[in-house]
Amino acid sequence: MIQVAGVSRWFGDVVAVSDVSFDVGPGVTALLGPNGAGKSTLLRLLCGLTTPSQGTVRVLGANPRGDPSLYRRIGLVPQQEAVFERLTGLAFVALAAELHGLPSPETAAEGALRLVDLDPGDRRPLSTYSKGMRQRVKVAQALVHEPEVVVLDEPLEGLDPRQRLHLIDLFRTLGAEGRCVLVSSHVLDEVERFGSRVLVMAQGRLAAEGDFHDIRELMDDRPHRLRLRTDRPHALAGALVASGAATAVRLEVQDPQSDRTTGSGVLVDTVDVAAFRATVAGAAQQAGARLLELTPLDDDLESVFRYLVAPVPPEPR
Amino acid sequence: MSDARILDRGYRRYDGARLGARGAIGSLTRQSALRALGLRRTFWAKVFPLLSAIIAYLPATVFVGIAALFPDELLDPDAVIPGYGEYYSFITAAIVVFVALVGPEVLCPDRRDGMLGLYLASPLTRDTYLLAKALAVVPVLAIVTVGPPLLLLVGRTFADAGPESFGDFLTVLVRILVSGLAISAAYTAISLAAASLTDRRAVASAGVILLLLVTSVATTVLVELGGSERLLLLNLFLLPFELVQRVYGELGSEPQLATVELVAANAAWTLGAGFLVRERYRRLQVTR
Amino acid sequence: MSTLYRLFLRSQLVRGRIIGLGSLGLLAVCLGFAVGASDGAGPRDGAELVSEYGLALFVPVSVLLFASAVLGDPNEDGTLVYLWLRPVARWKIVAAAVAAALSLCLPLVVLPMALAGALAGGGGLVVGAIASCTLATVSYVGIFTWLGLRVKRALVWGLAYILIWEGFVARAGSTPATLSVRASTRSVLGRISDAPRDFVEVGSIAAVLVPLLAAAVALWLTVRRLASQDVA
Repeated sequence: MIQVAGVSRWFGDVVAVSDVSFDVGPGVTALLGPNGAGKSTLLRLLCGLTTPSQGTVRVLGANPRGDPSLYRRIGLVPQQEAVFERLTGLAFVALAAELHGLPSPETAAEGALRLVDLDPGDRRPLSTYSKGMRQRVKVAQALVHEPEVVVLDEPLEGLDPRQRLHLIDLFRTLGAEGRCVLVSSHVLDEVERFGSRVLVMAQGRLAAEGDFHDIRELMDDRPHRLRLRTDRPHALAGALVASGAATAVRLEVQDPQSDRTTGSGVLVDTVDVAAFRATVAGAAQQAGARLLELTPLDDDLESVFRYLVAPVPPEPR
Repeated sequence: MSDARILDRGYRRYDGARLGARGAIGSLTRQSALRALGLRRTFWAKVFPLLSAIIAYLPATVFVGIAALFPDELLDPDAVIPGYGEYYSFITAAIVVFVALVGPEVLCPDRRDGMLGLYLASPLTRDTYLLAKALAVVPVLAIVTVGPPLLLLVGRTFADAGPESFGDFLTVLVRILVSGLAISAAYTAISLAAASLTDRRAVASAGVILLLLVTSVATTVLVELGGSERLLLLNLFLLPFELVQRVYGELGSEPQLATVELVAANAAWTLGAGFLVRERYRRLQVTR
Repeated sequence: MSTLYRLFLRSQLVRGRIIGLGSLGLLAVCLGFAVGASDGAGPRDGAELVSEYGLALFVPVSVLLFASAVLGDPNEDGTLVYLWLRPVARWKIVAAAVAAALSLCLPLVVLPMALAGALAGGGGLVVGAIASCTLATVSYVGIFTWLGLRVKRALVWGLAYILIWEGFVARAGSTPATLSVRASTRSVLGRISDAPRDFVEVGSIAAVLVPLLAAAVALWLTVRRLASQDVA
């Protein structure tokens, strides 16, 4: 539904987006990146709010720039907080519905406001709304015309935890309906709940795309870290190193009392998780150790993100 | 031997000398003056100061050129080149544009961006903050109020068309400084007063220009229709420039107004506007 | 388009702005009354009032305040995106904005000046005031709507234009006067009212066409700008 090919965007000397290519289909996709990575510029390019300096953007097969009729099928939640301060929430969303040419704008607006858990009967102007309410009314105006492509720039900012969960559920529902939902965020635990498909941007470039578990697997230069709990940590650590399955081990707790009851932690670095999993049981048996728990520590999104956006460590000499 | 080094430890206490309120005033004055002139900012911030300066200095440059190029026998410089006080009539538009820009530029953004709270957390009080701002605006305005006649004086002197003796030169110099600073002081107070009433620079700038033009047109019309000539003391477009004529010992365009009235009216407007700014800031709630 | 028109109209109804410009309009009426009540006043005084207060100051500044804000404010505060990202032709957005600015400016500006003209001299001066101020309003609405979208701090640029171009450069000779809204509309006032002949600096056709053409060109540029600019 979205095709981006070799897109760059620069403002004077500043390169905001550099040679980015990707496709996005139906479902929820998270756009991740630290501040200044170029996420907002990329989302603006997708909506035609700015033009690429190089490359092409296609949304639903058309150029989003210069064809206003395409906007019937796109909904955007922009990053900026500004809204028409003197309008009520209902009037603001109804304005969007009217401009989209919906037959009964007020009814559509009421439905969109309920969707984001706002009261359509609220007569207060938007200037009195809290940040969380503004965010939700912005989401409502983006969804009122039931677009096929929904682009959301940091839509969860300023929301309380309950509202966050509500909107995350809403985005997942939209994705499940076959809409293309692209959400930018830098709050990783939220993004993890959208689904596993991510686009990661760093310094204006696309650092990775796809399922973040798969991305983690592809990171050969970064050893995977796991935590084992066992009653005989020293013996198990030795066996693992001897078997060649672990590239490094570290013992967490040295208290003999606790070793007997809950076991001690052993942190293991390995380059091949599958091979390690196949080896660890045998190594434990060989060492006479009881294996109490095996937990991967860095195949979560945060670790993937950290590895992707952090500078590459220098090669050892 | 290790070649390791730490380049940045993050936040550290400032261990240097503390300059106190005087240092803070000086620093704020300097920064405000630079901001008003658009220095160390984008090209667009420099456009209006530059344009005003060009319009203000261009006639003086032309007059100096005429004085230098044409010998006295061919052209009487006094007949062609305006007097120092008269010169302001050529550059009034530039001065008004500059006045309308400078006050709002140095005062409004601090309130709009929340910088005022930071300044007041330093050794600056509200009064010393305003003093620093006024100290920044007066010399900046002097660029268009003192500079051009000064250029005229220097140029004419080098072209042997200036004052005849060193004493005359000094007299003209003092008059230029007094009249230029009088205009600067009056318009500093007025532009800061307008800037104290709104956080939006553009609205404050529009307010200054409107105030000057509306008082000018309204009082002129009323006086022409037979109203009291003292109504002209409300004409902010005229007052400072009329006072300048008196500084040069001339009667100006409104000879019916006594010099003492002009001095008093200028002083009243300057002090009144200054009082308004101070009151606005005294009552201002700084919330961030 | 009526939705956009209502939105723009509502956004322009700022109390401070209306009160400020209402006061200036009231001042025009008071000055008109003073001219009319004065024994020594002649046709020139009434025409000078409409020209120097109305056409030189009140009309351009009032129109600047509204027209530069009508698209300029949403462009600067980032709310333009809520109009831009809709399936609406760009010219319709501009037309609605211009219609809203005209709806506010015409009564706020032309009525007080017509009243001032009626009090100051009546007859031809009223018609002259209405015609010249309407023409000036239409022209400035076009110019300042474009300016509001084109530059940041459009108020300051507009004031500089009013002071430096209209008030200074255009008065320097007949050629720049032909390209001046102020000189053109003053000429219209001079031809219609009983003002002295020196009011007419620009020929009749040029005096009407130049301001309208300036507005048309400015509006075309506004539509182009809106379609091609980056939106925050």
